[in-house]
Amino acid sequence: MKKPSHECQVVVITSGKGGVGKTTTVANVSMGLANLGYKVVALDLDIGLKKLDLIMGLENRVIYDIVQVLEGECTIKQAVVKDRRNPNLYMLPAAQTRNKEDVTEEQIKKLIAELRKEFDFVLLDSPAGIEQGFRNAIAAADWAVVVTNPEISAVRDADRIIGMLESAQFNNIKLIVNRIRPEMVKDGDMLSIEDLLNHLCIDLIGIVPEDTRVVISTNTGEPIILSQNSLAGKAFSNIARRFTKEEVPFMNLEHNDSFWEKLKNMGRSVFSSKQVG
Amino acid sequence: MIVDIKGQNGGLVIIFGPGDIDQYINALKEKFESNPLLFKDFPVTFRGSSLKSLAPEELASLQRLCLDYGMTLAIPSSPKSTKVPTVSKNLIVRKTLRSGQKIIHEGSVIIVGDVHESAEVVAEKDVFVLGRLEGTVHAGCMGDLTSIVAAFRLHPRQVRIGDKISRPPSNSLPNDLPEMAYVEDDHICVKELLSPRTGSKRS
Repeated sequence: MKKPSHECQVVVITSGKGGVGKTTTVANVSMGLANLGYKVVALDLDIGLKKLDLIMGLENRVIYDIVQVLEGECTIKQAVVKDRRNPNLYMLPAAQTRNKEDVTEEQIKKLIAELRKEFDFVLLDSPAGIEQGFRNAIAAADWAVVVTNPEISAVRDADRIIGMLESAQFNNIKLIVNRIRPEMVKDGDMLSIEDLLNHLCIDLIGIVPEDTRVVISTNTGEPIILSQNSLAGKAFSNIARRFTKEEVPFMNLEHNDSFWEKLKNMGRSVFSSKQVG
Repeated sequence: MIVDIKGQNGGLVIIFGPGDIDQYINALKEKFESNPLLFKDFPVTFRGSSLKSLAPEELASLQRLCLDYGMTLAIPSSPKSTKVPTVSKNLIVRKTLRSGQKIIHEGSVIIVGDVHESAEVVAEKDVFVLGRLEGTVHAGCMGDLTSIVAAFRLHPRQVRIGDKISRPPSNSLPNDLPEMAYVEDDHICVKELLSPRTGSKRS
């Protein structure tokens, strides 16, 4: 493995509530960072409930897991799985047959200290919840990303998690709002970004619109960031660029009709009014 | 920060943050060593709530350390200081309380920030929130019905004063004005904080 070109950043992606898109975020943002030329490793810390290997489409390549590394059964080099699309991207799978209590914060700290020497970015996929698994995931991170959905249950959990991160002396906590549906926000049926920021009072690092293709990409193990013309994919690649401190403006989701689409719609209305007339 | 040293009224004030005696001694030594002449001959006062957790002999060892570096100990009740030397029973919290965070205090609590939904404040006396109050508050938790709850935006899930419990009616729109809750005729009432004559019953 070649030496990293930048100072390593260790980022934990967490949420409190399950199913908001932590693992999807980790898979896509790590792919995005690798595409930008950074050397990245994504760690699945959801021990006992591993998913990252599936979502990254690397399940067939898994030989060892993180618990075996921590217990000295194999080396880090043996356990990390190289991505088949991008040589800059690696993944360290969780153990499925073990528990979160089998891992300590000290072990994670030691492992990450090793990974820092080799990588530009270490992304930690935290399990849902606030127990040992969560504590392990935040033990060695430099900064944190909280993923939430625009619904009150996810927001309450995000608030709890932000409080716990603050108590653990995190001073850089960023928010990703995942699965937002601009048309519902417009109709007042969904919490808006302003509502969320107003309540959670932390900085935004990404807004990802709802996209049915994410389901397909999860099933096929091809992160959505790799598909063309997907707004969710574009949003994740913007997030990856913001991870590198690049200033990227937020996508305007409310007016995403292109010029041609607008023209087409206009043509249609003219046409139909003629017919009616 | 473990210790912070400030100049004040021709003397030095050492403010102790969270930490233990060894950390304090090390941090002070480091600061004194870095520039011994800077501190010499100045009267020193200790401050910080963490001091309360120190044993008397530990406190004495900190004082001795200052004397060893040529400082003098300031007399606490010098005529210059106009502060009333009573122990304050108010707790000032300079942060937003998030979901799941709880503050319990034997006195009044002042929160400089918001109290989010699912956060809790329990106080023996009053609760003041210089921000939005959306969580649960219990003022006068030992039974003091003269306690009040006041907030810049009083939108709580639940307010308790003494043994009284009140919830905002589910059909009411929250008022965007500073308000206070207090007990009158066995009920928790809410009124605007800035115009004391307007009062409206809530439960």
